Amino acid sequence: MAITLLSVAITISQAILGAIGSVFPPPIRGAVTNGNTIDGLAALIFAAILLLASMLNTIVLIWWERKLLGRFMDRRGAMHVGYAGLLQNFADGLKLFRKDTVKPREADTLGFWSGPTAYMVTSLIIFAILPISTGWNSGSLPLSLLLALAVFSFAPLFIFVSAWSSNNKYSLIGGMRSAAQMIAYEVPILLAVVAVVLVSGSFDLQTIVLEQTNYWYWVPLFLALVVFVAGMLAEMERIPFDLPEAEAELVEGWNTEYGGMMFAFFMLTDYLRALLGSFLIVLLFLGGWTMPSWVPAAATSFPLAGIFWFMLKVYIVFTIFVWIRASLPRVRTDQLLRVGWNRMIPLALLSVVLAALLVTVKCLPVLGCIPTLGG
Amino acid sequence: MSEMWINMGPQHPMTHGLWNLRVHIDGEMVLDVDPEMGYLHRGIEKISEDRHYNEVVTLMDRCCYVAGLAWEHLYILSAEQALAIRPPERAEWIRMMSEEFQRLGSHIMWYAAFVQDIGLMSPFLYGMRDRDLILDLFQSYTGARMTYEYMRVGGVRNDLPNGFTDRARKVCDWLIDRFVEYDRLCLGSDIFHKRCDGLGTMSEKDCVAYGVTGPMLRSAGSRRDLRKDRPYSAYDRVEFDVATADGADVTARYLVRMEEMRQSVRIIRQALDWLDRHPGPVMAARVPRWLGAPYAPIGNEGYLLKRNYPKGLGLSAIEEPHGEAQAYTVNDGGEHPYRVKFRSPVFANISAAKKYLVGYRVADIPPIMGSVDVCVGECDR
Repeated sequence: MAITLLSVAITISQAILGAIGSVFPPPIRGAVTNGNTIDGLAALIFAAILLLASMLNTIVLIWWERKLLGRFMDRRGAMHVGYAGLLQNFADGLKLFRKDTVKPREADTLGFWSGPTAYMVTSLIIFAILPISTGWNSGSLPLSLLLALAVFSFAPLFIFVSAWSSNNKYSLIGGMRSAAQMIAYEVPILLAVVAVVLVSGSFDLQTIVLEQTNYWYWVPLFLALVVFVAGMLAEMERIPFDLPEAEAELVEGWNTEYGGMMFAFFMLTDYLRALLGSFLIVLLFLGGWTMPSWVPAAATSFPLAGIFWFMLKVYIVFTIFVWIRASLPRVRTDQLLRVGWNRMIPLALLSVVLAALLVTVKCLPVLGCIPTLGG
Repeated sequence: MSEMWINMGPQHPMTHGLWNLRVHIDGEMVLDVDPEMGYLHRGIEKISEDRHYNEVVTLMDRCCYVAGLAWEHLYILSAEQALAIRPPERAEWIRMMSEEFQRLGSHIMWYAAFVQDIGLMSPFLYGMRDRDLILDLFQSYTGARMTYEYMRVGGVRNDLPNGFTDRARKVCDWLIDRFVEYDRLCLGSDIFHKRCDGLGTMSEKDCVAYGVTGPMLRSAGSRRDLRKDRPYSAYDRVEFDVATADGADVTARYLVRMEEMRQSVRIIRQALDWLDRHPGPVMAARVPRWLGAPYAPIGNEGYLLKRNYPKGLGLSAIEEPHGEAQAYTVNDGGEHPYRVKFRSPVFANISAAKKYLVGYRVADIPPIMGSVDVCVGECDR
């Protein structure tokens, strides 16, 4: 049996529970070490590993963005804490963790606290769904892509809840903008995904990746990629589509009233979602953890090679996002919505038509065939 | 979402200073605005009545912290007229060069803040980086990077250091190249045009009616520039063009300011050539002794009592980076000015906010106010 993240978690769980159980007499030992308990603890360990990995990556992602932005702007970025400022974000996080979290007196308590928490939790859940390499997932889910996108689209609700319950006019405007923007760009994203699903014939992300063995989908489905990337930029609320938190007019948008750890939640979740967006782009269009056949076998067969190549692609995609952020101004709400409804949706529909054509043709001259259809 | 009033300020990223723009909005649309100024009022005009003529210069630096030398120049021109003192020619050329460098510094600062308002991050730091070179030059001959205290009644405090003109020429060459880069970052971007074209328009007629001056007026097609219309210092002896544009919108103001920077470099280059060829004194020979000793010797305060100096009035107007500034100094024969009054272009430019903000969107407020180039220090004084 191949080593997967789940099997590692089960082994750890067995070891821990076995050690605990050996202390107790047989009846209790039996209860502690039975299959259900082991599976339950394994799930917890699995979740903890995922949480740790995603958080670590998010923080490294923030560091990478700060360094890159610094270079784009003719400066160095964080330099002092750790090597080349690598620990700066950990220090920042610790500082925010120690700070008092202030709730405005007139704010709605339940919404104010639960909004950011739910926003972060729903974004974290997706990491359990996305396969990073053959070993790193929670098993085969036939509709994993659909589930991931469904959970991904919870965000506007929680943003709006926290914005509304902040009882601040800037937060409210920011929340409205955010909801309008995310809903407008949800549609083209899903349509672009439909193009991928048509060609791969599956909603399972693992199958979609394996279908890209002959060629990565970004070549034939370039239009869908463009729509998807633009839509993802809007979903992640990054420049040029960061109007919900446009600091020039809205101070900090929907998270104006949040400070301390709650602000850290929002900040981390924004980058979590940036990471998720990059994950999805790599999975859907850039072949996931697979590499083309001309890459020497040695480069793809070392331990954890899949994760290595996957993360490399993710960071390259994110670098392009940072590049965009460093060089583009911010658009206006009405322009953003007009682009979303009038331009992106027709383009996305066109990309679906192109995907349908590709499925009909089955094989492309240089690239090769679709594995399941063309054989 | 119903109609509501929101306060953009006094602490708000849009304000670039300390003032409050009350905005009446309906969703994203601006129905009405009400600018409130006065948060930064320090009573500079009143304090000036209790200072020596040369001590007022220190207050001028604090009027506008990004255009300190221009304000020093403004005040000194009116004080010299009130005291009937003429500076030597070289001092006038140095002042003109300083004012143009200050215009460059102020406009680059404006560029940095303005691009930040429309969400461009990198050019903000490019602007700050390039402005630093100008501050280095200021430091080399005034000794300070921000509050210079350089100009004096009857001339300037000290001459330029050795090798200054060569260094200044190098900075000019560098800046001229950077302006191309600035333009490519802004005008080359479709989003920039989408955000700025046709925004915050104000016709020439309205500008005149509201007393709006400077780049805002020239962006509406006017050719009014005090450096050409009522030349002071040595402006009648250098060649330059008045920068104008026709759009009267945010993009037009951008174009006017960028062209003004190029013209400033042109003026500076001529001034540097002149300064190289004409060494000489930088302080008038016959300045009253009490002007040269601004601080009372301890235990000898009687030294500062009233003199029998001829009375006079001084009125000066210069083309400051933000617009037309005026100063009025009354000399009643004492060692302090009897009254000093300033006209700040920014005050008039902000006051007309209702004219150019109403009817646009909330998201348009930062670019429009950015294009006005607000400096609250000189507005509130």
